[in-house]
Amino acid sequence: MYLDLLHALPHVLSLTNFLAVTIGVVAGIVVGALPGLSATMAISVLVPFTFGLEPLVALGLMAGIYNGAMYGGAIPAVLLRIPGTPAAVATTFDGYPMAQKGEGGFALQVAVVSSSIGGIASAFALMLLAPPLSKLTLLFGPAEVFWIAVFAMCSIIFMLGGNVVKGLISACFGVFVSVVGSDPIFGNDRYTFGYLELLDGINIVILLVGLYALPPVLDLLESPLKTDTANENLGTEPIWRTLPRMMRFWKTWLRGSLIGIWIGILPGAGGSMAAFMSYNEARRASKTPESWGHGEPEGVAAAEVANNADTASALIPALTLGIPGTSVAAVMLGGLLIHGLQPGPMLFRENPDIVFGFMWQFLFGAILLLFLGGSLATNSFAKLLKLPRPLLGSVIIVLMVIGVYSIHGRMFDVYLMLGFGAVGYVMDKLKFPLPPVVLGLILGAFAEENLRLSLRIGRGDWGILFANHTSQVLVALTIAVVFGPSLKRRYWDNRKSGAQG
Amino acid sequence: MARTVGQFLGDALGGASVVVKNEPGAGGQIGFTDVATAKPDGYTLGTFNLPAALALTYDRPAAYTADSFTYLANFVEDPNTVVVSKSSPYDTLAALMADAKANPEAVTMGLASLGGNDHFAALMMGQASGAFTLVPFKGAALARTALIGGHVAAGTMTLSQTVGFEDQLKVLAVLAKDRSSFAPNVPTAKELGYDIEMSSLRGIVAPAGLDPAVSAKLLAALAAVNANAEFQKKMAEQGNPMNYIAGDAFATVAKAQSEVAKGIWETTPWK
Repeated sequence: MYLDLLHALPHVLSLTNFLAVTIGVVAGIVVGALPGLSATMAISVLVPFTFGLEPLVALGLMAGIYNGAMYGGAIPAVLLRIPGTPAAVATTFDGYPMAQKGEGGFALQVAVVSSSIGGIASAFALMLLAPPLSKLTLLFGPAEVFWIAVFAMCSIIFMLGGNVVKGLISACFGVFVSVVGSDPIFGNDRYTFGYLELLDGINIVILLVGLYALPPVLDLLESPLKTDTANENLGTEPIWRTLPRMMRFWKTWLRGSLIGIWIGILPGAGGSMAAFMSYNEARRASKTPESWGHGEPEGVAAAEVANNADTASALIPALTLGIPGTSVAAVMLGGLLIHGLQPGPMLFRENPDIVFGFMWQFLFGAILLLFLGGSLATNSFAKLLKLPRPLLGSVIIVLMVIGVYSIHGRMFDVYLMLGFGAVGYVMDKLKFPLPPVVLGLILGAFAEENLRLSLRIGRGDWGILFANHTSQVLVALTIAVVFGPSLKRRYWDNRKSGAQG
Repeated sequence: MARTVGQFLGDALGGASVVVKNEPGAGGQIGFTDVATAKPDGYTLGTFNLPAALALTYDRPAAYTADSFTYLANFVEDPNTVVVSKSSPYDTLAALMADAKANPEAVTMGLASLGGNDHFAALMMGQASGAFTLVPFKGAALARTALIGGHVAAGTMTLSQTVGFEDQLKVLAVLAKDRSSFAPNVPTAKELGYDIEMSSLRGIVAPAGLDPAVSAKLLAALAAVNANAEFQKKMAEQGNPMNYIAGDAFATVAKAQSEVAKGIWETTPWK
């Protein structure tokens, strides 16, 4: 199966495909650097435009953007203490103090080298782990897939942190949206109100664009950004002189990569969680924890290596099981689907050149990041952050409308997208988490379809859901995810009160 | 198919430009409706797949019937097959049918959605032995995956959908009049004693009420497309089993398919 990996290489090295990755990385860095614009949003705006492209070109763009944006977020985090993406929050802790000390250039170099290393590690994880996992997926029939969907939904609701009730409400909204259209077995119309446009259900891209792209743009327009950079001088030195100074971070890089890869595979958690965990672990292991938070370059390294290490690994469950690990992976799944690439074991068999090519693109994206990111981390680039917000916002809204219109060539979808945008805006303001909505839409449909299929196979006997070991393990995991956090809290509280008494 | 035909049709019409517009949605119903209600001037044609396009007029409200079209030419006929996984205990169609007869509804059969050729094929097989428990997946790829993984006992899908999976699947029979050139070793159901034929047909139609002169011109152009060796080569590369049926003969096939769907809907409605 690893032979297919080599077969795919020539396709990736063709000029257009390589160009796509390069453009993607640059665009990703820019998007990531602009606060309010995230990789999820950039890719969801892009997806409808990729219809006419070759699948590999489209996927290369996405892989590039994902890698680029995860680093791009570090630029304003270091220079302005404004994380460009949610995943760059941990980068501000030490990055900004470094910039104040006039070491902004070095901070960005640490960020770009760490990001690149994290991305490379993640790409290798995807290449090595996905093919064997895809073989395993033949074990998963309808009953097992149903449990996977339930497990993924529970883990995102209960592990996302924050308010569980709000997470549940978000997920229920997503599941409700998944019900619209003809039912998966008999084709009865549900909530279509006679519109043929709704018969196929609501296209995931419409929901994604509305939910993820519109609210941040409105946010952008609401709050004109004050750009009073503390220190205009970055103090950039040539990278070959700074590189040897970074070699002492190798332990942090290794640890951060592993954490990022692991978090990426878990559904629900994302780049920001990986960055926080890696930062905490690195500080705990450090000999000089007191210098952290006051401009310790290793802190930047820890955060940046981890938030790039979850990029490709988030696609492992997405490609093999159709379960996205992060919201970016969810958007990419939408991108795969519109090119007729159904995730699952068949994907590896039917389109090996595309799947394995996609993995190579992740690797090249990460390597390119080193060169492109390094040369962009300059004073002139920092000025881009001062683009007028209204201009930026309106351009993105126009792109969104064109993109959604081009999915089926009808205004109906645009109105639907704007409607979801309004819902998303309100949810955002009320602090309802958005990822459960997307997963609710994807997994709700998945769960329903497979539950009903397995009941048909079992001829109405619910016992079929628990009939084999794969199902039983998944049920146990689901129970652990649902009750684990509250049991752990109770256990901790007991121990604390025990210590006091 | 539409794009390949479109590509050659322009030349066959003496250099006319043929614009292929995708109108996805509602199992093709949006596109079929647009063609049925378009002006019958010969400038709007549509692709048509049987029996699904006409079967759906029975199970849900549709703005067209079998009489809403001028049937020009059918190009592709992809016969249904009966398949099992390579590791399945059923080695012959007879073994599968005998088990279904002995234990009605105990044998599961995976297929892609109800109301299409897969569904009708499975029902006809069930009538010839004992009923199968039908498990309609969302598309043939998922049905095939479940079949290979052993989650359903048997399946039905078109012949072209089994190509490339020779290592994982056993094709027990093809539900056609003759053996297919794509799989000459697979017997027809008829040879094995079951008179069942079912296939997926794909052709080109126009709105009803087309001027006979215009339709004659289009028919001539489509015949020229079909005679083009390069077109045939392209269609074969895409794995399309061909069966060219033109004009009135195509209309007769469509009417017959519509009656089959109607009969099945009336005796065993699927929703």
